Parts: sequence; C-alpha cells; structure tokens
Amino acid sequence: MSNFISALAASSAVEDTVNRLRPAVTQVTTSGSGVGTGIILTHTGQVLTNAHVVADGRGIRRNVAVVLSDQRTFPARVVRIQPDYDLALLQIDANDLPVATLGDSRRLRVGELVFAIGNPWGRINVVTSGIVSGVGVRLAPETLASSQDKRIMIPYIRSDVRLAPGNSGGPLLNACGQVVGINAMIWGGDLSIAIPSATASAWLTEPEARPAGTPVSDKLFAW
Amino acid sequence: METNLLGSLSNQLADAVERIGASLVTVNGRERQSATGVVFAPGMVLTADHVLERDDNLTVAGADGVAHPAVLVGRDSSTDLAVLKVADLTLAAATVAAPARVGQLAVAVGRPSAEGLMASLGVVSAVGGPLKVGRGAQLEKYIRTDATPYPGFSGGPLTDATGALLGIITTGLTRGEPIAIPVELAIGVASALQQQGSVKRGFLGVVSQQVKLPANLRTAEKERGLLIVKVEDNSPAEQGGLLVGDTVTALDGHSVADADDLLGLLVGDRVGRAVTINIIRGGVATTTQVTVGQRN
Repeated sequence: MSNFISALAASSAVEDTVNRLRPAVTQVTTSGSGVGTGIILTHTGQVLTNAHVVADGRGIRRNVAVVLSDQRTFPARVVRIQPDYDLALLQIDANDLPVATLGDSRRLRVGELVFAIGNPWGRINVVTSGIVSGVGVRLAPETLASSQDKRIMIPYIRSDVRLAPGNSGGPLLNACGQVVGINAMIWGGDLSIAIPSATASAWLTEPEARPAGTPVSDKLFAW
Repeated sequence: METNLLGSLSNQLADAVERIGASLVTVNGRERQSATGVVFAPGMVLTADHVLERDDNLTVAGADGVAHPAVLVGRDSSTDLAVLKVADLTLAAATVAAPARVGQLAVAVGRPSAEGLMASLGVVSAVGGPLKVGRGAQLEKYIRTDATPYPGFSGGPLTDATGALLGIITTGLTRGEPIAIPVELAIGVASALQQQGSVKRGFLGVVSQQVKLPANLRTAEKERGLLIVKVEDNSPAEQGGLLVGDTVTALDGHSVADADDLLGLLVGDRVGRAVTINIIRGGVATTTQVTVGQRN
C-alpha cells in the first residue's frame, strides 16, 4: 500500500497550498458595509467577488474599493454583476498583480478536502478547512433574484468549512490549490455554500448583452 | 510534491465516502426529514429508532432512488437503533472498522435524500461510557465526534478515513448533540433484534447504594460494593435469597462497584439465566444464585 501519509507533511502541504494563493486574495470594502473578500483573476486588475458584497436592493454601494494583500488600496468599478449567482466582477487600475486560476469544479467529489481564505467578521486572511459535503442545484432565493418571476436554478457546493460574513466572495480551494468555488453563504443558517467555479467561468465568458437574471447557457448548469 | 500528498489525502477521503456510500440508503419512516440507514448484512439495514415514526409503510432507497419496501425487524429505544429487512436490496454490506481511537479522522456520511450523498469531516473527539439515556437504561460505550451531523444523518455511519464503519450516528439520545453507537455494540443490538425483536434488559429487584467494603475484604483494586437497602417482594432477588444488608461485589464473575456496573451486566443472555452473585453477608464473603428477571 502506498497509502501512508505523514500527518506533519500533510500539515505543511496545507500551509504551502494556502500560502501560494494568499497574495491573490483581497479585501473588498464599501461605504457603510462590512468587509468582503475578492479573488484576483487577471494581472491587469479584474477581481471576482459576491454581488451582495458590492450591491444591495437599492443598487451598487458607494466607494467600492479593493485592498490587496500588500495593503495597497484601489478604488474599484463594478463592471458586471449577476445577483442570481451572487457574482460581481470588479476592475481596479493596477498591473502585475498575482492571480488565482479557476479550477474545474465539475470534478469535485463529496469528501474532498477544501479550504477557504477570507476575512470573516473583518479578520483579515483567515484560513478554514473541511470537506465537500455535497453538490447540488437549487432555486435562487427570492431575495437575490433580480426578477421574481424568473427565478433560476443555481448550482452550489456545500461544505463543512466554517464561513462567516466577510468570507463572502472569497475562494474555496481544493487540495491542489485551485479555486473550485466562490464562497457565498447566501442561504443563511450555518450552511457553508459556494458558487462552483464552473458557474463563475461560464458567466465570465458568456456575452454580456442580456438582462441580468435570465439564464443563458446550459454550461451554467454543469452539475 | 506537497500538492500530490494533499491531493492523495483528499482523494482517499472522497474514496472513503464513495465506499461507504455504496452501503447507504435513505430511510423513509417519518413525515418530515428522511434519514439514513447502513446495510450491515445482505438485505439488512441498521438505522436509528427515533427516525421511524411509524412501524409500517417504511421504504428505503439507494443511489438509484428506487424505493424498496422495508419491514421493521425490531427497534431499541435505549440505543436508538432499529433493524429493517429489505427483501430485494442488493447493496453490499459496510466494512467494519477497528474500535474508534480518540483523535483519528472521522467522516460522517448520510444519504438524507435523493439528492445524493453528503459528508462532513472531523475527528473522534471522545470514546466514553456508560451514558445514562433515560428510563433506567444506559449505553455501555459511545463515540463523540465534531463532524457536523446534517439533517437526515441520524441512522447513518461515522466511518474512519477508509470508509469502514466506526459507529451509527444519532442525535436522538443526547438532545441533538451527535454521538455514534460503536459498531460492535450496534451489531450486537442488531443481532438481538433479529433474534427476538427487542433487546432483553434484566433486573434483580433491589434498591442499592454504594459503600466502602469492610477493611479486611478491601483491596486496592476493589474498594467498593453495592449495599442492598431494599429487596422488592416476589422479585428475582428475593427468590434468589438476597437480603437487605448484603453487599454485592460481583455478578457472573464481573466486579460490581456501583449501580452502573450492575445495570451494565443485566443484559444479553444473562437475562432469564441463573447467575452467581458474590456478596458480603455478616462480614463474610459468600455467593448466591439469582435468576435474572426480564423487564418489559
């Protein structure tokens, strides 16, 4: 059996995996609201976060800003937002940024190790761990649906990773350090929910010319 | 390199879930949340007693979602276990793990609905017992874990990191806090339920209190016994000749130092059988035979 795994080595492997991604994880701040988390997707300043971190029922919050891991702060523009998937894409005016790559969430299996990096309750750069508890699809909650008659099905990853407000928009990593989910915690209770990276990737690559809230692509329902 | 190592650990955990998942069914026995059951022998399913709110119209379903009618073989509220027989169920029986050790990785797995398997990770937090579980009953041994019990996990497995069965999860004995009934105990209860439909619990018919043994009969290992302060009329104890003032020190060869010891011994095949009870009477160690009664 080649199953023997040193617990000490496994422990430092967790450290390495998490530390590799840390520079690409940001804080997202707005006026009059707590801190959220963001994931840098491109060297040229695209940052992915949750819609509810940067917007509420009245629209985009004021003074959206991104704080990098080196503490530099940049004002951010919300370039795309999709409340049903609870995703928003921000643009900051910066270059040569460290980036995270979105992995393939469709291969996730129940029981796989996952890690979250985020800013729960405003505490910066906190790592929590667990396993994938389940994957599924459910109807978008009414509170997030951009149109009440057009509630759509949303794929999700449920895990036993401890999340709190402030983790929103942050990465859920697999054991290889790939981002497989965007933590959303949108359905209340103690459920840790993440939007699968496959859903985020499909949303990021689809044409923009459509009203928010309408399902456009089967790719979004990859489960 | 490190990534491979963590990836390998991660894969093994997912394999563990898949492995035990092949032996898991959704148990439909109550109005609200359905629960989980574990196939422990061909066509036989262990689940929690409290998730069966009715005795008839029970069904179980595996990964394919096909509902199979299930017959209630027996149930035992004091261990919160029940056994179902499912005629046409072809799922493999779960593998049994070595006894749980504090600190080892533990995976809680459930099949709460047709949506599929769910799992959470933790460790074996404690192995304890006996635990009083009400109505004079007690659990000889139980496992505590910090793995999250999602709704519908009761009756499902707590496994080791290979997916082998450590115990059956229940939140029904401890006001919502999850414990697992150790697999060796659960299988014992299951075979009793298969043989007689219930778990025999015995009684003597005495009221007792713990006392220090007389100095000349006291040893470092054996300092205390149970002083009989009342013998019920027509009880097994009276028929066996136990008297108020006797101090019980052992039953059927097992030391008795407190009421929990005694309760723990009045189970299984001792019920209905004559057993030797060691007592101290008038300062002298002696024995008497008592036929253990069965409590209904």
